[in-house]
Amino acid sequence: MAASSSSAASFFGVRQDEQSHLLPPNSSAAVPPPPPPPHHRPPQPQQPLEAPPQKKKRNQPRTPNSDAEVIALSPKTLMATNRFICEVCNKGFQREQNLQLHRRGHNLPWKLKQKSTKEVKRKVYLCPEPSCVHHDPSRALGDLTGIKKHYYRKHGEKKWKCEKCSKRYAVQSDWKAHSKTCGTKEYRCDCGTLFSRRDSFITHRAFCDALAQESARHPTSLTSLPSHHFPYGQNTNNSNNNTSSMILGLPHIGNPQNLDHQSGDVLRLGSGGGGGGGASRSSSDLIAANASGYFMQEQNPSFHDQQDHHQHQQQGFLAASNNIKPSPMNFQQSLMQFSNDNHNSPSSNLFNLSFLSGNNGIASGTSNPNAAAVPSGNHMISNHFGGENAVGGSGGGSTGLFPNNLMSSAGRINSGAVPSLYSSSMQNPNSASHMSATALLQKAAQMGSSTSSSNNNTNNASSILRSFGSGMYGENESNLHDLMNSFSNPGATGNSANGVDSQFGTYGGVNKGLSADKQNMTRDFLGVGQIVRSMSGSAGFQQQQQQQHGNGGRERVGSSSDSADRNSMNVNPGGGGSTSSPPYGIHHASF
Amino acid sequence: MVVAMLQEDNGTSSVASSPLQVFSTMSLTRPALLSSPSSPFKDLKPEERGLYLIHLLLTCANHVASGSLQNANAALEQLSLLSSPDGDTMQRVAAYFTEALANRILKSWPGLHKALNATQRKTSNVSEEVHVRRLFFDMFPILKVSYLLTNRAILEAMEGEKMVHVIDLDASEPAQWLALIQDFNSRPEGPPHLRITCVHRHKEVLDQMAHRLTEEAEKLDIPFQFNPVVSSLESLNIDQLRVKTGEALAVSSVLQLHNFLASDDDILRKNGCSLSGDSASSLPLPSSVRVDRFLNAMWGLSPKIMVVTEQDSDHNGSTLMERLLESLYTYAALFDCLEAKVPRTCQDRIKVEKMFFGEEIKNIIACEGSERRERHEKLEKWSQRIDLAGFGNVPLSYFAMLQARRLLQGYGFDGYMIKEESGCAVICWQDRPLYSVSAWRCRK
Repeated sequence: MAASSSSAASFFGVRQDEQSHLLPPNSSAAVPPPPPPPHHRPPQPQQPLEAPPQKKKRNQPRTPNSDAEVIALSPKTLMATNRFICEVCNKGFQREQNLQLHRRGHNLPWKLKQKSTKEVKRKVYLCPEPSCVHHDPSRALGDLTGIKKHYYRKHGEKKWKCEKCSKRYAVQSDWKAHSKTCGTKEYRCDCGTLFSRRDSFITHRAFCDALAQESARHPTSLTSLPSHHFPYGQNTNNSNNNTSSMILGLPHIGNPQNLDHQSGDVLRLGSGGGGGGGASRSSSDLIAANASGYFMQEQNPSFHDQQDHHQHQQQGFLAASNNIKPSPMNFQQSLMQFSNDNHNSPSSNLFNLSFLSGNNGIASGTSNPNAAAVPSGNHMISNHFGGENAVGGSGGGSTGLFPNNLMSSAGRINSGAVPSLYSSSMQNPNSASHMSATALLQKAAQMGSSTSSSNNNTNNASSILRSFGSGMYGENESNLHDLMNSFSNPGATGNSANGVDSQFGTYGGVNKGLSADKQNMTRDFLGVGQIVRSMSGSAGFQQQQQQQHGNGGRERVGSSSDSADRNSMNVNPGGGGSTSSPPYGIHHASF
Repeated sequence: MVVAMLQEDNGTSSVASSPLQVFSTMSLTRPALLSSPSSPFKDLKPEERGLYLIHLLLTCANHVASGSLQNANAALEQLSLLSSPDGDTMQRVAAYFTEALANRILKSWPGLHKALNATQRKTSNVSEEVHVRRLFFDMFPILKVSYLLTNRAILEAMEGEKMVHVIDLDASEPAQWLALIQDFNSRPEGPPHLRITCVHRHKEVLDQMAHRLTEEAEKLDIPFQFNPVVSSLESLNIDQLRVKTGEALAVSSVLQLHNFLASDDDILRKNGCSLSGDSASSLPLPSSVRVDRFLNAMWGLSPKIMVVTEQDSDHNGSTLMERLLESLYTYAALFDCLEAKVPRTCQDRIKVEKMFFGEEIKNIIACEGSERRERHEKLEKWSQRIDLAGFGNVPLSYFAMLQARRLLQGYGFDGYMIKEESGCAVICWQDRPLYSVSAWRCRK
């Protein structure tokens, strides 16, 4: 590696040397590469590079970084035409060879250059315009004609005008080529409109296609999507509408169509939460995301696993039972679902929904628009959570579990609590059968770790698991310790909703803090160390927490408004014709 | 926890049953228990079975690593009994790991291994290969996100460029470039002259690609040139890429670079370097000659942007155990993704699991040396490597990340998320990092 990088560096060094060597004389005076006829031009400083304008094939493939000579020519040189003037008749020629041939006619001494036998060093040419991409040596052009035409076209005056369509050209040959075809070509759009000019046709097509795509796309689903038709393009277009509504603070969630779908979906799953589903999300930033995800799933039945549905129902069922007979176990279970990660899965979303609708049905139903549109919606969410704790009566109980569970390394109470949690889940055969492989691994790791601390009868395999587990377990513990301090009092003394609520409030400060803490707690409680482990060490955990707090904080909001600006600037107004499709639109409101 | 299990067993609850106890207390020198014919496994609850499978896999791997084949064989027997390619997630994952472990044992008898595979066709069916890749594209958002981020990065880097050349080192999916063509077509300053060079081993794939892309470019009437290069990436001649002076170059590499790490072992061994224990520590990055050479060649083309998608897991550990544990987590997560999305009976799902992930697992577990090509490494290692090759990181734009997240949500890919890690994107399932996307430019 060292060798290669050093060689690279040295290469660059060489190139820069060349540049510095070449640039000064050129920038000080206009120097054509071939030595001009001595009698016509004022004497110019003879430059070191010998560059006879040999006929070259254009656009020869070559690597830009090959050790070519980099040549910078002044604009004057590039623009010069017929630099080789016959002293007799004053006729100008572009090439010296042509002049020499011409001199024969005057019976003047002439000399044609012989093709040199030795290998001519490759030359690449820079554009003198500093703002141009080809001003950079790494992007120099491969031949003299190319750089000349480039300079004319991009930085020169467009002197040649087509009489028919009044399009202007800087290079005469371009104009000639255009004149030959101008008016002869007709562009016909599928919609029947005729165009004589390609660019106006393309402009039209952009709109015309957008319309066609838009109408065609509504019924498409992911699976039925033609494989070759992967619609990023439309995606960008859609962002137009999303953006505007985002700036206005209008949540797409308010789109009646969405709500219909959502509630329909929710109802079908038997939790009866109505459109307020999103509101129960811990962070408003995710509300719409989930809703959109859900909506989309509805659209793609083929991809929607039936088991998945089944699972949802299970969750709903669990939640319902939670309301009827509040128990710490169920509550934990629900938190486990909830804590899956920031971007909640639909199951947990649904779960929360049903849970909340049981407790504060009306509130959650109505809070949705608030939550999506204004920050104050967050407040309502936190209230729900407070209520949840209170009604479930399990908030205190569950917090009470933690000290036992995690503070004592090998206590019987501790170990008694955990399996009973699992066993309670196992009593429900269906929910138990859906433990994911990831969760199993995590559990195995955790078991490995507790095995090591409480049981010496370990084997190789579990000791390896332990080595995984112990690291993260310890991490969790230390982290939890702080949490515990803030929680333990109300948890131990009573289940008063106010107590729990205010405790959360003081700890989290922000409403968001509440859910973040809960997530952490749940994680630790389950010993899901893998998640923590993957967050790159102990610092990662802290970070995660901060991030979650920050979700509702100013940082996120700031950047999202940034993005709104960007969006609105980036997106070209042409796409405005297409109406946004719900899935993309919805979550915009929250970003 | 184990105390609890024992306690419960002694007590009233019958729920926390024996297998868990077995899991924790079983010593590996008790094959009698393992091979008890009465097979208590029938009554196992899925969760218990899952845990037991994990235990067996680890046990088995230990035996394979230490060369005690008798014990490994016993474990494999149990594993085969419990795992199943069409069962629940853990059973499926275990099935492929079991097969891979068996393969590894078999490879220690090269004759046997070769004889068993004698009738297997060396070259797999091209269309089958493409089909499986397609299924991976369809069932996961990963490639979609990767393509989206890649295209965004290219578009942003090519703003105002008139001559754009894109090199695709993994030319198996036209969708990416169809999208790019459309994006270029709709950019405010109009489309550039676009040239796409695709590298692939099979001409058929490139023909297909050429057809689709030219068709699209013609439809949109943008100047387009397709340059197919039939070659494997390892034997690629840089001149074949036909990079011209003056054009703005973009390079896209999707799940390719880790292949270059293969066979470095051999080189290092020749040089007398030891790899052991090095894989975890990051600072003295195990120099890999081939990947460095390739990256340097790429640098020599001075691309304006190079976007790299790689698996974001550490599957390049030197010991079997390291690799098994890491890959167990990764593939468990990947199989969980499918479980959440696709019915268990879906044949396509089984196909992806077997022919895509199963093959990767087999390669990671059973192969060594230059044969072991699936050497997935973490983003930080790639970053170091690419950085050392003379590239500077180009942070993915906020807009790109926003679009990628929107894509995940728009398609209902819940459970996935995109983390930002120093300007790069890491696609995760829940909290498990799976793939990373990073953008680079030549440092001057």
